[in-house]
Order: sequence, then C-alpha cells, then structure tokens
Amino acid sequence: MILKNNLKEVRQKKGFTQEELGNSVDVSRQTIISIEGYRYKPTLELAMKISKKLNIKIEKLFYFED
Amino acid sequence: MILSKKEISILIEIIFSISFAFIFIPYFYENNDNNLVLMDGLVRIVIEILVFASIYFSVAYSLLEFVFKKKETKDERDDLINSKSYKVGYLLYEFSLFIFIGYVCSRMNFSFILKNLKNEGLYENFTLTDAGVVFMILALLVFISIVKSLYQFYLYRSI
Repeated sequence: MILKNNLKEVRQKKGFTQEELGNSVDVSRQTIISIEGYRYKPTLELAMKISKKLNIKIEKLFYFED
Repeated sequence: MILSKKEISILIEIIFSISFAFIFIPYFYENNDNNLVLMDGLVRIVIEILVFASIYFSVAYSLLEFVFKKKETKDERDDLINSKSYKVGYLLYEFSLFIFIGYVCSRMNFSFILKNLKNEGLYENFTLTDAGVVFMILALLVFISIVKSLYQFYLYRSI
C-alpha cells in the first residue's frame, strides 16, 4: 500500500500557491513540493495542519492506494 | 538545475572539505614521519587553516545571504534529512575509528617485535609518530565530512 494524496489538486482548487501553503503551516516550499510528488510522507501533525488549512478531512487529502 | 539555499550551504561545506584536503593535508602527509614538535611551520599552518576557514565561511555565507535574502524555514523534512545523513556520518566515524585503533595497535606491535629483534631499519618504518596520527585523523575526518555532506545533498535532491 502506498500513501498518496490529493494535495496538489486541493491546493490549486483553494487558490493557494506552494509558498503560501508552506508558510501557513511553517514548512518550506520544498517540503510541499516533496509531499505533492509523493517523495516525502508528512508526520501526522503536519498532515493535520495542512488538512485544517485547506479545510478538508484528512482522509480525503491523504489515502492509501494498493 | 536550480539549487535551494540549504543545498548551496551543503555545497559550501563540501568545497571547504575538498579545498582543505588539497591545500593542508599534503603538509601533514609530507611530515608524517616527524614528531609534531620537530615539524617545520606547524604553528604557521595552524594559523593558515584558521584564517582560511574564517575568511572562506564568512565570504561564502555572506554571499549566500546576499543572494537568498529570504530566510528559509527549518521543518520536519530537514530534520529527517539531517538525522539520516548524520547517522551515516556517525556510522562511518565509528567504523573508521575501529580501523584506526586496529592499525595503530598493529603498527605498535610490529615495532615492538622489530625492536626486540634489533632490526633498526624496519623498526624505524613501523614506528608511528604523533604527526602520522594527526595526518590519519585529519584525513579520516575530511573523508567522513565529504561523504556525509554528499549524502545530505543527495537526500535534499531526492526527497
């Protein structure tokens, strides 16, 4: 099972840039790029911060794929 | 290839280690058979190292701050990358320390045997001087530092 996410789509839909989203959750733009590219798995704390900022349920943002 | 501020600061460290290896290590290699007190210009080389390091890092980091004015956030991804690269550095350090102790002990053992056999020529070859120990420690530290920084750079590019 691979942990995937809809971060890029949701972020663009809500009108955030990678820089803005990163600043609002105290991480760098590179971290947001890595999460969107599935190269970095965020901690639960960061995942919750992002989902709160984007006003979306965490399980809708991050999901497992077989 | 666009590099971030953190990646460039790692490259600054790598360039320093390589410059150190090419500029200063040969001096310790050439004097590897001497005793530290008998080495010509040891104080001068130590001062040169300190001056070189101070000038290099102050110029490099000032330029970096000038080019990248925005302060970069340190986050959990940086912590992960740092912990992975420092772990590699630590493992290499432990391994090389083990090899180094083994090497020193075996040389001491050989020199002791040769002294007892009264073989002066070979005894001289196997006697380990303090300058030789300093050379080996410096070479190992530079090697470990380069490997650690290269791995850190690789992680920043791949994660």
